[in-house]
Amino acid sequence: MTQLKYLILVSRQGKIRLKKWYTAMSASEKAKIAKDLTPTILARKPKMCNIIEYSDHKVVYKRYASLFFIVGVTPDIDNELLTLEIIHRFVETMDTYFGNVCELDIIFNFNKVYDILNEMIMCDGSIAESSRKEVLHHVTVMDTMESNDNLERVLS
Amino acid sequence: MTSLYAPGADDIRQRLRPFGFFFEKTLKDLIKGIRSHNETPEKLDQFFTQVLSECRDEVNSPDLNSKTNAVLKLIYLEMYGFDMAWCNFHILEVMSSNKLQQKRVGYLAASQSFYKDSDILMLATNLLKKDLKYDGNNDVVKVGIALSGLSTIITPSLARDIADDLFTMLNSTRPYIRKKAITALFKVFLQYPEALRDNFDKFVSKLDDDDISVVSAAVSVICELSKKNPQPFIKLSPLLYEILVTIDNNWIIIRLLKLFTNLSQVEPKLRAKLLPKILELMNSTVATSVIYESVNCIVRGNMLENDDFETAVACLERLCTFCDSPDPNLRYISCILFYKIGKINTDFISRFDKLIIRLLSDVDVSIRSKAIELVEGIIDEDNLKAVVQTLMKQFVDEDMVILQTGNVVYERSKRIPIIIPENYKIKMINTIISICFVDNYSNVNDFEWYNALMMDLTMLCQDISDKTLGYKIGEQFRNLMIKVPSMREVTITNIIKLVSNDSINRQLSTILRECIWCLGEFSTFIENGDDLIKVMIGNSGYYSHDVQEVLILALVKIFSTWCNNVREDKDIEIKLILKKLIEFFDNLSYSSTFEVQERSVEVLEFLKLSGEALEKDSEGLPMLLSEVLPSFFNAYELAPIARGTQLNLAIGEDIDLETPFLTKEETDVLLDGQKTDSMSDLVSDTSMDEQAEPGFINDSDTSYEEKEPLNDSDNPFEVERKKERMTNPYYLGEENEEETHKSKDLLDLDEGNTAGGNPETIRLNKPDNTLNSLSVSTVEKDKKKKKGKKKKRVQVLSDQPVIEAAPKKKDAFQKLHGNQTALTPSKKDKINLRMHSQLENFDFSNFGPSSSAVNESLQEGKMREEDELELNRLEAKLNVQGEKNNLSDPEAVIIIKKKKKGRRTKSKTKIKPRADNSPGPNDLLRDHSSTDI
Repeated sequence: MTQLKYLILVSRQGKIRLKKWYTAMSASEKAKIAKDLTPTILARKPKMCNIIEYSDHKVVYKRYASLFFIVGVTPDIDNELLTLEIIHRFVETMDTYFGNVCELDIIFNFNKVYDILNEMIMCDGSIAESSRKEVLHHVTVMDTMESNDNLERVLS
Repeated sequence: MTSLYAPGADDIRQRLRPFGFFFEKTLKDLIKGIRSHNETPEKLDQFFTQVLSECRDEVNSPDLNSKTNAVLKLIYLEMYGFDMAWCNFHILEVMSSNKLQQKRVGYLAASQSFYKDSDILMLATNLLKKDLKYDGNNDVVKVGIALSGLSTIITPSLARDIADDLFTMLNSTRPYIRKKAITALFKVFLQYPEALRDNFDKFVSKLDDDDISVVSAAVSVICELSKKNPQPFIKLSPLLYEILVTIDNNWIIIRLLKLFTNLSQVEPKLRAKLLPKILELMNSTVATSVIYESVNCIVRGNMLENDDFETAVACLERLCTFCDSPDPNLRYISCILFYKIGKINTDFISRFDKLIIRLLSDVDVSIRSKAIELVEGIIDEDNLKAVVQTLMKQFVDEDMVILQTGNVVYERSKRIPIIIPENYKIKMINTIISICFVDNYSNVNDFEWYNALMMDLTMLCQDISDKTLGYKIGEQFRNLMIKVPSMREVTITNIIKLVSNDSINRQLSTILRECIWCLGEFSTFIENGDDLIKVMIGNSGYYSHDVQEVLILALVKIFSTWCNNVREDKDIEIKLILKKLIEFFDNLSYSSTFEVQERSVEVLEFLKLSGEALEKDSEGLPMLLSEVLPSFFNAYELAPIARGTQLNLAIGEDIDLETPFLTKEETDVLLDGQKTDSMSDLVSDTSMDEQAEPGFINDSDTSYEEKEPLNDSDNPFEVERKKERMTNPYYLGEENEEETHKSKDLLDLDEGNTAGGNPETIRLNKPDNTLNSLSVSTVEKDKKKKKGKKKKRVQVLSDQPVIEAAPKKKDAFQKLHGNQTALTPSKKDKINLRMHSQLENFDFSNFGPSSSAVNESLQEGKMREEDELELNRLEAKLNVQGEKNNLSDPEAVIIIKKKKKGRRTKSKTKIKPRADNSPGPNDLLRDHSSTDI
């Protein structure tokens, strides 16, 4: 349904908060993309569209508070509006999970964010789970099992 | 909610403290540390190095807890650009932990860092198999994690092993497992298509699942698979259509639309059934993304025929409302769809000119740049000026554009200058030129305006770094000169202005080539040619070699016209100019460029003779200047010819353009002992051609000998041509150039003329022209005055080659590029998938009547596989050599490695088993190097 190439979370100061690559790229390619995109997107004004063309693909981004969610998509295959919707869904899900999510939540619980992301976007960015409830349910189930683990360890 | 790890890790520390472990940092400590150390970059760097070395120690510790903690920290540090591939084996250990918490971290780390590391993937395979053992309900989450991790780790052999397990999971009572199994199967099918063939019905039955998320996953997977190979899914169309009609979940509808797009591309029959439904959907839904996807489906699924105005209008009207929406994203995507629809038939979009002109001044430059691509579709005689004006204004007003930003609270307008990036400027200039040029200037009715426009563009182009724009504008000036005779005086005045303008000479020298050519060709319009010659010689420092080539003949032409038209008493000045020219050409005859040298020497000798004659004859001009020199250039007037005409000229079948005159050995000998001998100049030129195209060497000997007797045919044309070829070494080079530079749309003939300095070649070609009925028509001059504009219309010829010679060339071309084309399909795969997928050319014929197309693709696949095997074999050879060379010659290894890297990715899966059986030191090294690409 989609063919996301990567997802990067960048703060307004240009700091990377989260990266997820769905296609194999060399370290230098990755670094280049992050380096090129950050200033371009930070420089864009409100009221401009959220889709830009970058090298051979398109980039869809969306700003939520101080964070920019940047997604690389495959032109002609991805629906840009849907990609925006997926970003929004992701933010909504985090919001419910953390309860009024803010940048600090994402920084300190980045592994949780990855878990949510992995539940939402599967198979190298080609399948997205649209149900927020579903995602949250599984993440919380895993969390409970983890805390059980913790408990066991402490008790042992 | 706070992190669950933090207290856990704290616990660890507390419990370990009595034993002397004090230095572990939790993830929280790490993050806090980074935040507190970021005053200076040095301090931060120091902190990072410290943390990294700590992690290195912790990761080696036998305690899984601290190992996990370290891995977690490393994942975080990876975001700061610290590679974590070195600890892949430790990650594997963490993954194999029994504790879910640790397993989860392990899989997370694996998905972040395992890509392409074949050794680690092989080890992970076994672990994964164990984790996927589905026994009882407690393991749901564990299996879930493993299934998620599968997508990163899958290999063909693993796919084969676990396919059956996954199909059993499809029957699980838990929707979560079913869903995960379906998504995991997607990766399996890509690697092991037999699984899909054998269990097709079982898989498809999941489309009827009770749980919506399972259906959604199944639709998604089928959609993805159909992208690679739509054939097996076409028979599902009725079922899918049923789902599309009944379901009301927009996410799934969009997926289905995407799926139908793929199917409809190969099965046109679907159109009749689908199109009404999609149009209905478009009208009934309120979700913009569904509307967008519907239009996308119609356009990309080949459902819009180029005469189906009704559908097109339905789509375009929806897009129109998008364009008026305040949401810039909608405006942007509708521009893209407009373009796609316009591509099917430009008539569809032509009535939307007002809208598109409005979009050209959108606040967002990226929307403008999409709208500009549409301009060509809507342009006509009436709106051309308006469009060009809109575009030109953007150059001038650049900083004045105002953006209104209304804040909900403050409600005030802000003035934000829109920065217009250079690539957009380049796009604008290119568009302006191409919309005016379209249909041989049929939309331009005021050439004075066009002339002024070109002058403006020239001035604008000076500040733009893309210097090819100069060529394009130069071509426009040249076209104006040739095609619009009534404007020639105005145009040539402009051209003279440009040529004598210092800053143009400095900053946009690319425009000069065409301009100078015009000056030479139309020198009759120039009265004071002597001054112009002086100016051009004075500016010659700016001219590059390709300008110099044209300049030489232009100067002679101007001189020829001028000295035959001046009054009698200007003898002294003629002598002066002639002396200047001789001096100038004398310098050029030492030029490092062969072409310049050749032309200047040719001219120089003639001018020297004329100079001597001028000294002798005190009465008037010598014959050489008054008769011979003009006869070089004024044989007949130039008329415009269609692009590609020259290519259509019949090339005598007995002329062999491809065989080099010399064999490779002979060339080498000649190149080694290059002498100042004039003959060697001639030969080395051809040999240079040969070097550039080494593919031709292979078949040199035989065909060269065959050619000889043929050339002695009685055909007078051929004899003449042959003579020309023999005497003029440039001839061959010119012809090659024409083959490659098709962009020179007209006047190639003239180039040949000026180059050879021999008008006979042209006359020879002319009858050919008419023979091939490639008529070059010109509109009578008389008509033009009535309209106040003058135009020469050129009949545009089809690109089809008339003569057999062209296909032959193609063969040679293919021969040359054979290697590259063979490699391209696999390259595509590399982009799509991490590992080479075998689905695209898989034969599904087992479960249904096999269509010939599938069979064909199978055969292709086989061929490709054979190629691949061959490649692998070669590669293995290279490896062995590389290892050998490793010991002796470090330089050779580097070269071989490079070659390998290119091919490596495609044959990865095949090589792997060998690497795994014995991951020797060399193999390890190589794999790492390939991951670093």
